[in-house]
Amino acid sequence: MTDCPDGLMRDLLPEYAVGVTGVDDAARVSAHLATCEACRAELALLKQARAGLSLGVPRMDVAAIVSALPAPATASRPLRAAPRWTIGRHVWQFATAAGLVLLVGGGLIWQRDRAAPTALVADTAAVATATEEPVAVTPASAESGISFGGGLSDLSLEDLQALLGQMDSLKTLPSTDPESMTPVIAMNEGGTTP
Amino acid sequence: MSETDRDADAQADEALISRWLGGDQRAATQIVERHAQALARYAASQGVRDGIEELVQDTFVRAFHAMESFRAESSLRTWLFTILKRLVLDRQRAERRQRNQVELDEGHAVQEFDALDGMVADEAMLRVRQAVARLSPLQREVFTLRVTEGLPYTEIAKVVGSTEGACRVHYHSAMRAVKEFLSDD
Repeated sequence: MTDCPDGLMRDLLPEYAVGVTGVDDAARVSAHLATCEACRAELALLKQARAGLSLGVPRMDVAAIVSALPAPATASRPLRAAPRWTIGRHVWQFATAAGLVLLVGGGLIWQRDRAAPTALVADTAAVATATEEPVAVTPASAESGISFGGGLSDLSLEDLQALLGQMDSLKTLPSTDPESMTPVIAMNEGGTTP
Repeated sequence: MSETDRDADAQADEALISRWLGGDQRAATQIVERHAQALARYAASQGVRDGIEELVQDTFVRAFHAMESFRAESSLRTWLFTILKRLVLDRQRAERRQRNQVELDEGHAVQEFDALDGMVADEAMLRVRQAVARLSPLQREVFTLRVTEGLPYTEIAKVVGSTEGACRVHYHSAMRAVKEFLSDD
């Protein structure tokens, strides 16, 4: 059996044999077949193959298949809902865990921050009484690392002296409050502004 | 089938899917009618002999459960073929595990394919079947999809997991092998 040299036509033959060729292609194939013995032979072979390969294939019971299909309203729900539920569950788990961490962690931080300024104010009050000088409690002092969780009674004598030293050094630090700078400028020597 | 005809065919399937998703159960019947027999032929070409009806039914059940995910990147029939192919492979794996057998080799496939020879009345058909049975599994799959369904190479490539060009080569190689087998008589 020889092959037709027209590859395009040979490519159309299977579809022509099945009957799914478009109208234009079908007309071209028909015209070609009238003059090409090789394509006629190949077409006959294709029809034999199609018939042969379809032998023994049972006829499908459409009604039985349809009866087993899901109803349209419920068909997509499990498949669509499953991933959403999976994602949603993870999101909620994550949100709950994050919330717990924030609650516990935030509470601890709030408690520590709440205890530190109280102690500091107590300490600075004591220092102010001793030196008869007002001590400003500024954010800078709050962040200077001298705060502590316990009371003064927990500190040893050396610790208290070290704390007093630190408090003295704080007085030399510039205030972060812009208003407190004004009197410093006004008290320059010679009555002139620098 | 021209591109226009294929588009019309695809649009008909998509319209039926939309109708079914909208609650029209009759659309399901039409979808099954359009594709069930092609699926059965494809299952047979994959060496399935027993339970083709069940396999086709399972294919439709799975497809309809996932119908909303069908994106029409391929034709509905191609999509159904890929679902059925996965089911066939699953079934073959399960059977191998059950029987503790090695994978079906080509000789075994040929033997299964030839099991229907006794039913074939036409001598010419018998010879063609024997010729197709001797093709490699991939050649046989491509050849069958092309000859029995008239599927274009682009769609065949999606079913068998290859390229359009490779499928074209497989088809023509298969056709040459079939012709040679028949000319040896």
